[in-house]
Amino acid sequence: MTATSERRSPVRPHIAALRPRRVELGLIVLIAIVVLAAYGLASLGKSSSVPGNIGPFLAWMLGLFFLSHLSIRRFAPAADPVMLPMALLLNGIGYVMIARLGNDVAGGSDLAGLQSVWTAVGIGCFAITLALVPRVRMLAQYRYLLGIGGIALLALPLLPVGIELNGARIWVSIGPVNFQPGEFAKIALAIFFASYLVDARDLIRNRIELRDLAPIAVAWAASVGVMVLERDLGSSMLVFTMFVVVMWVATERSLFLWLGAGLFMAGGFAAFRLFAHVERRIDGWLDPWADARGGGFQVIQATYSMAEGGLTGTGLGLGEPDRVPLAETDFIFAAIGEELGLAGTTAILMAFLILIGSGLRIALRATRPFEKLLVVGLTTLLGMQAFIIMGGVVRLVPLTGITLPFVSYGGSALVSNYIVLALLIRVSHEQRTVVPSAEGRLG
Amino acid sequence: MNRRIRNLGLTFLLLYTVLFAQLNRVQFVEAETYREHEGNIRPLLREYGQDRGDIVTADGVVVARSVPVPDGEIDFRREYPENERYAHVVGFQSLNQGAFGLERQYNEQLAGTPLDQKFSSIEDVFRDRDTTGTVVLTLRDEVQRAAIEALGTRKGSVVAVDPRTGEVLAMWTYPSFDPNLLAGLDGAAVNDIYKALLAAPDDPLLAKSFREVFFPGSTFKLVTAAAGIDAAGIGPNDPVFPQSNLYQPLPSGSPIRNFGGATCGGDLREALQVSCNTVFAEIGAEWVGPGGMVRTAENFGFNSTPPIDLPDAARSSFPTDYGAFIADLDTYRGDDSDDPAAPSVLRNGATPIHENSAILAQTAIGQNDVKATPLQMALVVAGIANEGLIMAPHVVSEIQAADGSTYETFDPSLWRVATSPRAASVLREAMVNVAQNGTARRLQIDGLEVGGKTGTAQLGTEPPNSHAWIVGFAGPPGGAAEIAVAVIVEAQPGASEQTGGTVAAPIARAVMQAAFAQTPTPAGG
Repeated sequence: MTATSERRSPVRPHIAALRPRRVELGLIVLIAIVVLAAYGLASLGKSSSVPGNIGPFLAWMLGLFFLSHLSIRRFAPAADPVMLPMALLLNGIGYVMIARLGNDVAGGSDLAGLQSVWTAVGIGCFAITLALVPRVRMLAQYRYLLGIGGIALLALPLLPVGIELNGARIWVSIGPVNFQPGEFAKIALAIFFASYLVDARDLIRNRIELRDLAPIAVAWAASVGVMVLERDLGSSMLVFTMFVVVMWVATERSLFLWLGAGLFMAGGFAAFRLFAHVERRIDGWLDPWADARGGGFQVIQATYSMAEGGLTGTGLGLGEPDRVPLAETDFIFAAIGEELGLAGTTAILMAFLILIGSGLRIALRATRPFEKLLVVGLTTLLGMQAFIIMGGVVRLVPLTGITLPFVSYGGSALVSNYIVLALLIRVSHEQRTVVPSAEGRLG
Repeated sequence: MNRRIRNLGLTFLLLYTVLFAQLNRVQFVEAETYREHEGNIRPLLREYGQDRGDIVTADGVVVARSVPVPDGEIDFRREYPENERYAHVVGFQSLNQGAFGLERQYNEQLAGTPLDQKFSSIEDVFRDRDTTGTVVLTLRDEVQRAAIEALGTRKGSVVAVDPRTGEVLAMWTYPSFDPNLLAGLDGAAVNDIYKALLAAPDDPLLAKSFREVFFPGSTFKLVTAAAGIDAAGIGPNDPVFPQSNLYQPLPSGSPIRNFGGATCGGDLREALQVSCNTVFAEIGAEWVGPGGMVRTAENFGFNSTPPIDLPDAARSSFPTDYGAFIADLDTYRGDDSDDPAAPSVLRNGATPIHENSAILAQTAIGQNDVKATPLQMALVVAGIANEGLIMAPHVVSEIQAADGSTYETFDPSLWRVATSPRAASVLREAMVNVAQNGTARRLQIDGLEVGGKTGTAQLGTEPPNSHAWIVGFAGPPGGAAEIAVAVIVEAQPGASEQTGGTVAAPIARAVMQAAFAQTPTPAGG
């Protein structure tokens, strides 16, 4: 296994491998400065004093940043240089916002402290994933395991070990740890879809046979069904979208696009009629002021918060983002909008666009269909999730209970997103070390 | 597959562009609209809940301050320890009705937001220093309280200024209101109280002392007299106007009579002493003329807004249009020496007669469309007492930083050159005479030189009611006058010239006495 991962491009291998890493290092240093400055400014704004723990913070941040950089150097040195820095930027700004909000979890420990721990775990898993998965291809072997496992993970909260929170049942509590298995299930399902479609797409492209579609249809129905049972409609929308996109890319048949759109409408309509809180969400989207104190309250406060920010924001620590409910999770984008203004929100937007663009570029340049489809699936997950929540905050689309990748507070989401990032980096490294003429030799 | 992937990329680009457009809409295009939304309390709470400095009188009485709110959405709320006594000057700051008075005018300095107040050194970026400012008023609590007590529960206003500097020593209108009721946190309750105050009879929210105009009545004769002295060369003892009980205006109009049909005349001093209408009507119409009267009135501040440092001061007005020019007086009268309306040989022959000179005769005695705020009348007297110079009125003397050091002072400045020093001196002496021998006898104070002029502005009601006015000044004998007062008591029964003297004079006297009772102590300790 290791031999293949050491393959270098025959043309000036040393430089070819090192150049992106230098770019990446430069970007990381820049981002570290930005995050440090933001951290200091937030504290100055909030309490007119330089934060007491700025030394440890700097050490912690630099440690984690360099750990992630070093693991790419070690395990995937030819990978795209821009993706990790973007993720670190999002993570860093998110952390500064969470620290600035300074709120505690019910148990008493502060959210910022927890987020820093989860960041470390996330980056640790990033490194581990890079080390353990030298070739993405190998994941395809476990497709059925991953498929069933994914659905199982999704269904876990329905068991007694699960907790109901805010009307949805997506959390699982095992011992002292609470986590969301759904976040990891999405990765497993993406791998399953990609690998199954690689084999089935030739068949589907020519003639649609029900028996070929069966496993994925079952998987799809099961996952969406489970999520609906759990009232996790945002995630079910996400997985559904990912499925439709991967199907469409794999089979190159627009039929699936339309079919998917139609099913989505039908499903949405059914949800609207069946679930009271979906109806509330839609009403709250169309006219939040009709129910200003009830369903519309969150999004109205978010709107006021972002309007307050204007072009350049109120300044870190100088606004009132804690007026917005759930400011650390679903509405962190509004908090950034208030304190960093349109400039800040556009920066976040661009960071995600760069991530999506890099992901799709990797997909384009990947030579094997499995890698292509996997990258498309993972990138779609990331990109759509960000779009859906940012869109919900600005009332472009109705609100759903999902969080902003890398930015929001949340351990499971952070760790799973870092794993996704690691897989994308892995594919990026693979296809940059491929010698075009040697394609046939790759297993 | 690559083609689809590219399409997917374009789709993402499209989605994010739409998102970007919406972001622009919320944070830029419609941001102002959202900020001003009725339900958006952020700007209000931020504005309202910040710590702001005190407002104190010249003698150290705190009339407005911020008190910390133990827990809640805001950090501070505003309190007015003197309740309604300074409401019209200090105003109030409410959560959702905006701010009024000084609380609005000096909001930034109180909150400490002007840059040079906030950052006196680079350290201030890193320190959390109390940068609020204290606004020190020129008003003196003892004088203000005297005015309040003396006026009692009668509708009216009292304004007292220092003629030498323009500092307002007292400014009070009854009825007033308690600003604490409007500074509360319960938005709905404040709304109700505000609506009730707006609808209340006699308009307690309005500071009539400087924001409402009234007929000044005979107090305006001071301006006419000044015009006569400056523009027509009339002296204190010469000419002597004939005794008469009516004045027939030119070119035509109903005759102007004296109170109760009385007959009066004499020189300027005597005419002022008894407030003789016929004399002053003649002076205005036949000695000074429209141009001169308007000019003098405007020199005294009519038709302008006094530059007081409070928002929305009202303009006092003196009519400026008296129709087309007909002829000058001599030409007009021809040589008609047996015209019964031709009173005196000593007329200013060159005075222009206009179509509506009859109206001029009325405005010259403070009737018709002459309207003045109590502040304006106080300034008229202040000008006379200060050798013809009216200083700009102001209620704030200085702004102090939180540590007591002076941040900004308001120096006296000249507002109007009302009249010549000679006319001022003549009128000053004449007013002292009015206080000693005339209608303002109740103004006298032992040990002080006091001058005054009463006024009774008939309201034309049945039974007859009138505004009772008095304007006056007081100072150490032989020295400069240190206080000028205007008092109006609205709609009192009766319509005689005595009304001003009996009703209003005691109030002005009490105010003057309080002003001289003790020297003021510096504010802030």
